[in-house]
Amino acid sequence: MLIDINASTGHWPFQQMQNSSCNEILARMDRYGVDLSVVSNLNGIFYKNVQAANEELHEELMSDRRFKDRFFPFAIINPQYAGWRQDLDICVNKMGVRGIRLYPVYHDYELSDPSCIDLVKIARDMGLIVGFTFRMFDPRGPRHWMDTTIQWNLGDMIPVIQEVPDATYFFLNVVGNIFVLNESERALLKKTTVLIDTSGASLGNMGNAIATYGAGKFAFGTHTPILDYLTGLLRIESLRENEGGEAARDQLRSGNARKILGI
Amino acid sequence: MNRRKFFRNSAVSAAGMLSAGIPGLTGCLDSAPPAGPFSSSGNIMKEVMKYRKINTHEHVRPDISPGALIEVSDRLGIEKLVISSIVTEYSGKSATPQEFRDCNDLVLKAMKQYPDRFLGQAFLNPVYGKESLEEIKRCMDQGMTGLKVYNQVKINDPLFYPVIEKLIDLKMIILVHAFCGLGMGGHRPKYGNTEPNTSIPEDFAGVAKRYPEGMFQYAHLHGGGDWEYTCRILQDYPNVYADLSGSNNEADAVDFAVRYLGEDRLFFGTDGSHFQGVGTILSSRLSDAQKEKIFFCNYNDVLKRSGNHVN
Repeated sequence: MLIDINASTGHWPFQQMQNSSCNEILARMDRYGVDLSVVSNLNGIFYKNVQAANEELHEELMSDRRFKDRFFPFAIINPQYAGWRQDLDICVNKMGVRGIRLYPVYHDYELSDPSCIDLVKIARDMGLIVGFTFRMFDPRGPRHWMDTTIQWNLGDMIPVIQEVPDATYFFLNVVGNIFVLNESERALLKKTTVLIDTSGASLGNMGNAIATYGAGKFAFGTHTPILDYLTGLLRIESLRENEGGEAARDQLRSGNARKILGI
Repeated sequence: MNRRKFFRNSAVSAAGMLSAGIPGLTGCLDSAPPAGPFSSSGNIMKEVMKYRKINTHEHVRPDISPGALIEVSDRLGIEKLVISSIVTEYSGKSATPQEFRDCNDLVLKAMKQYPDRFLGQAFLNPVYGKESLEEIKRCMDQGMTGLKVYNQVKINDPLFYPVIEKLIDLKMIILVHAFCGLGMGGHRPKYGNTEPNTSIPEDFAGVAKRYPEGMFQYAHLHGGGDWEYTCRILQDYPNVYADLSGSNNEADAVDFAVRYLGEDRLFFGTDGSHFQGVGTILSSRLSDAQKEKIFFCNYNDVLKRSGNHVN
């Protein structure tokens, strides 16, 4: 079984995206043997009223019966915007989302902002996964002059974890040096319920990453439609026996994700 | 210079462009990808190993053992690696003759260590014209098969002309560090390159026009900034190739590059990002035959011109 914990539908305003509808993503999933995808709507990064994006995703998922068993919807929530608590309630209780994704850089608040910490705590209390994407695009790439250059590394997540250590996290498209953490920070990360998806450029040496943080901390992810669909999978499937072998590969393919998603 | 051969090769490139379809119009890339063999995730490695591969952009450094490069290459079925060693702007060095000779000695040592796996490229600084030409001879006499240049001098600078002419005589390609930092300079589309001497797409266009017999490789399309803009600039210069190395493995770049440059002008490469290099090509919408060209055949055709091809 294969579960992609980092997929998105929707549009990117500065560049045409192929494979960005549920239908197109499902075709990719079928071609490459992906059973389930955690999905949210890119439009929620750019709409001021983010809930409209969550509604769009919900409508798209309801439009085809094939989608129901293949996608896990995550809502995008902006804790700075009016009515976000109501939005969260609707997303969970009427749309069936299993988690939320936060975009502090695009929604213009700090990770340490009290509203962000409050939202993470509420998500924890509701049993929701909280997803942070370290960057959407490489700022050295074809970045539009209106887009951001800010990207995080694992160290930026430590204060959030310190504030809410018992939440469940997805760290997505992880960039920067993942070995940057000091000993106590590594210990904290190891104790936290977190999955790091395999799409990020930091995971050039998956064996070392597993040796440092354990195979239980990683899961297959694509960052589709922005990044290519297979790099994250190659990092898993090329693991050698002395790097965890088939047991580790199974954890990363779906075992860790199934555990957290409650499948 | 063999102009008859140049024009024959140009015709081949043009045919390749036509077969890829007219840029912007419908072509093979617009069709849905065929049903794949990936019924389970484990099969992906069989697909990886199906293609012979020449990695056309990789480096050796004092802190990276050649053995480590071979190890990751073996995981991904990479048969040959084109390697160089360079003086970067971060090193605090100015690429003096002694410094570029030291770089090349590192490559020669790696080539001797893994003669069946590494193809060497010489590095030089054309500010030192006489020494650069001497270094080309020294390196090629010991089996190197091309040239790699960095950002000491832009590729269209007259200082480069004697070097380019020498490489034309040798029928070898020049891999040129490149960056297209469009959009990084402010609130309008202008260049924001932080390294003033890094070659930009327009520099390649200029030198390609001056030397249609030359072969130029635009480095790391996946790590060289705005790949859409780059492809649009380079599309009319059939003697400029691009390698698909780099860490920024955007999903649509390979298909876009084929649409504008054609399937014959793209090379597989990694530049340290091995999984991205393979993943982007493998997950593109290209046919198996197109992937074979990019992974192996296109660069082997370039090597064939100097008699250094892989059997």
